[in-house]
Amino acid sequence: MNVSPKSIKLAGERDTVSVHWSDGHVSAYPYAYLRGKCPCATCEELGAQAMRPPSQLPILGQRPLKPERAELVGRYALQIYWSDGHSSGIYAFDYLRSLCPCPECTAKRESASVSE
Amino acid sequence: MANRISPEQVLNALRVVKDPDLQRDIVSLGFVKDLQVDDNRVAFTIQLTTPACPVKDQLTAQAKQAVEALGVGNVEVRLSSQVTTARSPHTPLIPQVKNTVAVASGKGGVGKSTVAANLAVALEQAGARVGLMDTDVYGPSVPMLMGGNQQPRVVEGKLEPPVEYGIKLISMAYFLPKDEAVIWRGPMLHKTVQQFLGEVRWGELDYLIIDLPPGTGDIQLSLSQTIPLTGAVIVSTPQDLALTVAAKAIAMFQKLNVPILGLVENMSYYVCPQCGHREEIFGHGGAREAANNMGFPFLGEIPLDLSIRVQSDGGKPVALDATTSYGKAFQEVAGALAAQISVANAQASQVINLE
Repeated sequence: MNVSPKSIKLAGERDTVSVHWSDGHVSAYPYAYLRGKCPCATCEELGAQAMRPPSQLPILGQRPLKPERAELVGRYALQIYWSDGHSSGIYAFDYLRSLCPCPECTAKRESASVSE
Repeated sequence: MANRISPEQVLNALRVVKDPDLQRDIVSLGFVKDLQVDDNRVAFTIQLTTPACPVKDQLTAQAKQAVEALGVGNVEVRLSSQVTTARSPHTPLIPQVKNTVAVASGKGGVGKSTVAANLAVALEQAGARVGLMDTDVYGPSVPMLMGGNQQPRVVEGKLEPPVEYGIKLISMAYFLPKDEAVIWRGPMLHKTVQQFLGEVRWGELDYLIIDLPPGTGDIQLSLSQTIPLTGAVIVSTPQDLALTVAAKAIAMFQKLNVPILGLVENMSYYVCPQCGHREEIFGHGGAREAANNMGFPFLGEIPLDLSIRVQSDGGKPVALDATTSYGKAFQEVAGALAAQISVANAQASQVINLE
């Protein structure tokens, strides 16, 4: 593992989980995006079906999605307890980093998938 | 009349003394404490990062020499130690345990438990506060290796571990009749690991040595998930068969971001007590070579010796007696391990701020 988080803030700006990495990079993961990338076996198997799309409109009866709390797993991962009751995803730090949605990392991912 | 020496002069002189593991001088590391400078007498304490420091005599001699070179007639160097930790003080489990070290192997039968027990004894003999946790639920062997016939007791709702040779112990063997077997699936193993960590009154410890079962399964994963391990020691015999499997254990720990503190070669060679002929049964030096190739520290080699087997079966770990070659070998490995733990703690960036 090359990088690990120095700090993780669940209540980051604009409904994101904000991660400061040991190499200085900062990632901000929108809640719904991160929940959608849950690596647990159920979510991987069922894909998007496992998660009802979180509504941005609380008036439609769904509570807005957010992390209720989180725990560090050993020294390699983060486990998030989501407000929809789901908590079995263990986000390994290198996986979490690979999900970084910043324009720079997204561009890198896209160019990597094109060259494959 | 000699010029009076100032404390600054003494500290400056001591800057030539470098800790070979941390690769910095003992003054900037903050090891020099209680400095007293009188007319022709200088006294100070060197506070090491472990009582098992393998270079403490060397550091003491160098420090003494450096101050004597200033023209001081009477130099008194005392040693103390304060074991370092890189753990966050907010950890819910075993917050008073400074360092947790998993002793692992790929293959079974390489002497993992014997090495774990003797490392614990050697660290305790050096003056550290040590616990030994046997997580091999299926084949628990720590109580036999450590002797004694005490049992854990429940005090105020928590388990008080038995203490043998000054070491706090826990093992599944304490909770089962001798001939009974544990026949469990994964989730039970996970619970056991959590209870060994959470329900046992470990108290303040410098080192908790954790004996793992062989392989890369439930126990290893549960342990690595439940606490942020300081690191892992990999035990292997020198033959390729064992080293190939050991590489898998290493790969697992790397995936889980657990630092490899080093490799130990067990059953390194056999010296015939009759004729003194040395037979390298499993081929000698394989683990050292593997460590070098993979870029991990090599902590030392333990010979294959009848006495180790006899004393282990008899509950008297050989590391209790450092006058024997094998007892000394364990003490050297323990010293090298303690040094690597200090290095890992000095480099540590594992305290993650979660809010």
